[in-house]
Order: sequence, then C-alpha cells, then structure tokens
Amino acid sequence: MSVVPVLELIDVSRRFGGLRAVDGVTLSLGRGISAIIGPNGAGKTTLFNLISGLLPPSAGRIQLHGQDITHLKAHARARLGMARTLQIKSVFPALSVYENVWIAARQRYRPLDPFGLWRRDRATAAEAEAALEEVGLTGCADMAAGSLSYGDVARLEIAMALAQRPSLLLLDEPVCGMSPAETEQAVALIRRIGERTDVVIIEHDMEVVFGLAERIVVLAQGRVLADGPPAAIAADPAVQEAYLGQGEDEEEAVHG
Amino acid sequence: MSVTAINRTLTAVLLAVLVAAPWVLPMFEAEFWLAITAEMLIWGLFAASANLLFGHVGLLSFGQALYFGFGMYGVAIGVDRFGLGFWPALGLGIAAAVAMAAVAGVFAVRLTWHYFAIITVVFSLIFYFLALRLKPLTGGDDGLSFAPPPVARFGDVTLSLGDETVQYLVILAFAVAAFAFQARLYASPLGRAFAAVRESERKAALLGIDVLKVRWIAFVIAGGLAGLAGALFAFYGRYASATYMYYVVSGEAVIWTIVGGTGTLLGPGIGAALLTLVREELSTVWEHYLLVVGAVVILTVVFAPRGIAGAWNAALARLPGVRS
Ligand SMILES: Nc1ncnc2c1ncn2[C@@H]1O[C@H](COP(=O)(O)OP(=O)(O)OP(=O)(O)O)[C@@H](O)[C@H]1O
Ligand SMILES: [Mg+2]
Repeated sequence: MSVVPVLELIDVSRRFGGLRAVDGVTLSLGRGISAIIGPNGAGKTTLFNLISGLLPPSAGRIQLHGQDITHLKAHARARLGMARTLQIKSVFPALSVYENVWIAARQRYRPLDPFGLWRRDRATAAEAEAALEEVGLTGCADMAAGSLSYGDVARLEIAMALAQRPSLLLLDEPVCGMSPAETEQAVALIRRIGERTDVVIIEHDMEVVFGLAERIVVLAQGRVLADGPPAAIAADPAVQEAYLGQGEDEEEAVHG
Repeated sequence: MSVTAINRTLTAVLLAVLVAAPWVLPMFEAEFWLAITAEMLIWGLFAASANLLFGHVGLLSFGQALYFGFGMYGVAIGVDRFGLGFWPALGLGIAAAVAMAAVAGVFAVRLTWHYFAIITVVFSLIFYFLALRLKPLTGGDDGLSFAPPPVARFGDVTLSLGDETVQYLVILAFAVAAFAFQARLYASPLGRAFAAVRESERKAALLGIDVLKVRWIAFVIAGGLAGLAGALFAFYGRYASATYMYYVVSGEAVIWTIVGGTGTLLGPGIGAALLTLVREELSTVWEHYLLVVGAVVILTVVFAPRGIAGAWNAALARLPGVRS
C-alpha cells in the first residue's frame, strides 16, 4: 500500500556563499511526531526555513501531501495547512495576546474582509479562545504580547500555530527558555497535539526528544546522518560521534 | 469610564463644534477661522494617508504628495479642460490618485524601510518634474486655475463653493466620512492584517497573510485618501499646482502624523491642525517659524513617541477610575 507522504524533500540543498547549510537532503516526514536533532549549526533551522518557504532552496524539490510547493511563498504554504513556530520566538508584540491568536485563526476565512468588525466575529473568537485555553494562556488574553515572559511567548506561538488548524506543525526548539515545570507542560501539550496533527520538532533537549518522537532524524553539517526510531538512534555510534564535544548532558541523554 | 468611552465622547463634542463653527464663529467676529479650519481638515486627511501606511502597516512613505497632486490635477483638469461638474471632477481626482497608487504600489510594496521611503520619493519626484514640463496640460510653474462648478442644485437653490459656509461644510462632510471610513477599516479583519504586517512581516506570512497584497491594498487606500485631500484642496484653492507634489509636502504629512500620534485615528488630524496653525500664525510674525516646528517634532519624538494622541491616551489611563 502506498501512502502519500505528508512532506517530501527531494535532494534539497541551500548554500550561503560557500557554506552548504543544507546539503542534498532527501527525506519523507510526517505521520505522528518526528524530531530533527543535530549539533548547533547542523542546518536544522535552515531546513525548516526551506520547508516553510522563508528561504528558497538552492536546489531540490519539496512536496506537501504530494503537491509540489517548492516555488510557493510562505503564506501560500501556510494556507495549505503548514504551521510553524520560530526558534527566535516571534509574535506581534504591540497587539494583545488574544489579538495575536485571533489573527492566526482568522486566516482561514476571508482574512482581508474590510467591512466586518473583528470584535464581532464570534466564530473566530471561539477558535482563538480555544487555542489560548489549550496552551493555558487564557488568563493573559488581554496583556500585550510583548510583555509576556519568554516561556509564555513560546506558548503563545504554539497557540497561534494551533489556531491555524494545521495538518503539519513544525516546532523549532519549542521548550527553549522554559522552566522545568513549563517544559513538562509543553511536552504534554505537544503530545496531545501529535494525536491529531503531524508534528516535526527540532529540539536540543534529549529528554524531550526521546519522550515525544516516534522517529528521529539526525542532521550534521547539512546532511542526514541517521534516521530511525529512538532506540536505533540512541545506539548509533555515528550519532554519538556527531555529538562528541557537545556537552555532557546531551551525550548522557543519548546514551540513556 | 474607559479611555475609549472618553475619547468617543470628546470626538462627538469635537464633531458638534466643527458642525456648529459656521454659525458660532461669526458671533465672535472670527469668520476667517472657517477657512483655516477647512484647510486644517484637508491637511489632516492628507496626514491620515501617511499614517495609514506608517502607523498601521509600518511603511514610511515620503511620497504621499504625489497622490495629493493627482487628486488636485484630476479636479483642475476635469473642470478646466473637460468641463466636468463638481462630483465627476472629484471622482476623477480620486480615481487618478488611486490608479497612480495602484501602479506605484506594485513596485513600492516590495521594498521596506528606507528603500520603500526612497522609491516613494523617486516616484513623486518623477511626476513633479513631469508636471512642471507638461505645461499645456498642467500649466507648469503657474499651475492651473479654474472656476469651481456648483456642488448641487435644488430647484432655485444652488450650493456653491463661493459660499464660505457651503465650502466649509462640504469639506467637513468629506473629512468626517473619510475618518469614519478609517475607523471602520482599522476595526475590520483587514485592519488586523495591517497590524500583523506592521508588527512582523515574517510572522504574518507564516500565518498565511499575503504580505505584499496587504501592503498593496493599504498603499492604494492611502493613495485614495491623499487623492481625496488633494481634490478637496483644489476646490478650496480653485487651482492645482505642481508645488504640492514636491516631496517636502509629503514630509509634512509624516511630521504631522508623528507629532499628532502615529497609529491613532485622529492623531494625524491633531498634528496637522496644530502645525498648520503654527505655520499660519507664526510665519506672519517670524520668518524662522520652522525652528518652532523642528523643536515641536524633536520634543514629541523624545518625550511622547506616540505623539499627542498617544500621550493623551496614556495620561487618561493614569487617571483614577479610568480603564485603559
Ligand atoms: N541567512 C543566513 N545567512 C548566512 N548563513 C546562514 C543563514 N542562516 C543560517 N546560516 C548558517 O547556516 C548554518 C546552519 O544554520 P542553522 O540555523 O540552520 O543551524 P541549526 O541546526 O538550526 O543550529 P542551532 O541548533 O544552533 O539552532 C550555520 O552555519 C549558520 O551560520
Ligand atoms: Mg536552529
């Protein structure tokens, strides 16, 4: 039986001058929660930029649900059901938390309507409130997004992505900057999301990665070094090699 | 009370004062203020066009005078060359500005920040020099004078711009309509898309917002507002001139906006009113009045970055018993 892959990368490369940040990556992603790991500078975020359309690839093709999206702009990919959070957390700082999520939710229904009153749009309001509820930010709805703590900004970004009702969610280091308690909540949240949406997560925290992912892709120097279930990745000597000098905790996590 | 409620009440009071002005001013033998107020309304509208782009979409335009000029020439050429009546000439002025903005916008919205500012200046300079050259059409240096056609006829009654009160009320009606339109626009889903693009273009795109399209729409609407202001100004002055297409005029719109309150509804109007007042009153007694304007701008930028309207809102919110 052949299933159309959620996301298909075919020999995708991206150069910055002489640097091959992403170097001939062929991957099929999606179905449940997968993780992309790799040392700093491995090209993980660049790969997300190529997938989400923030950067054009230097070579290769990208398909979403079997449709070629290589030349689509970021907003068009979002409309096809792709949502993404950024490594350097980004929201609309001067707008309220609620407005941030409302804008995300409204993009599926006449987003540029100049006649309606946004405050009166009940349907979008309900979706925005549900997304805030899901990440536990209901109490901050009226605060300016720019005044949130770093961990809350990260949660707001996830709420915005959820309000988009994506079929594929890309999370770039979602728990970075969160306290241990916040991390635990975020992991539970991502696990819940993974039950209804395909998720790809970039993460350095190996506890989080091994706790969530059904499949792990290891990237090093822009190439796929290893790809498989967590147990196989943990036992892979090449992966341990790539992480050497990366810091004790992470190494231990890979071993454990 | 909330800040919004207080501001709504004050706006209603302001509106009532403006409507009553033609009958109240003569009581104080101050009729000449009517013409000055009319001019303030027009410049307020013009500043609102710069504010739409800068305060709401995050694009700093130094070229809004181009669309103001197209509005002016649309009216002047319409009346003088084609013999159009008031409404068709007004329509022609606005249409010319909107069409020009639609074309220039295609190029301009691809750029941001100083590149955007530069391309808007370049467009306006091109047409400024073109207007100076095309003497047969535009009157070149001398400009184009015309006798304004009547606004409307009801049986024997003719509403003519020659009547100060009629002229003032016509301008007021258009200004009120244009500000009401903006209030509605900013409260719409499109208004939220404007804000998203202003706050973070990248995030907006990732949410599915077509950033270039949103910017283009804003650019065209802003062109229309500037065009309306220019068309009204042509009727008010009974002429059109390339001088008003110069980029210095565009810069004034930006200054009025910053002083009045970027991103607020009435701020540009307040800034325009205040600084045209400074210009009208002070320039007669002191030729270096621009120093005062400069000082006002510097003081606002340093002490009230959100302008007079922004400082006012912040002050209100600090009052006991007022919700923000
Ligand atoms: N826009 C850019 N211009 C030039 N070089 C870039 C650009 N973006 C990324 N790079 C380079 O490409 C390489 C890969 O960067 P990338 O951000 O994709 O790594 P990463 O795997 O996400 O790392 P980290 O774990 O630190 O986030 C790095 O060497 C980086 O300096
Ligand atoms: Mg990264």
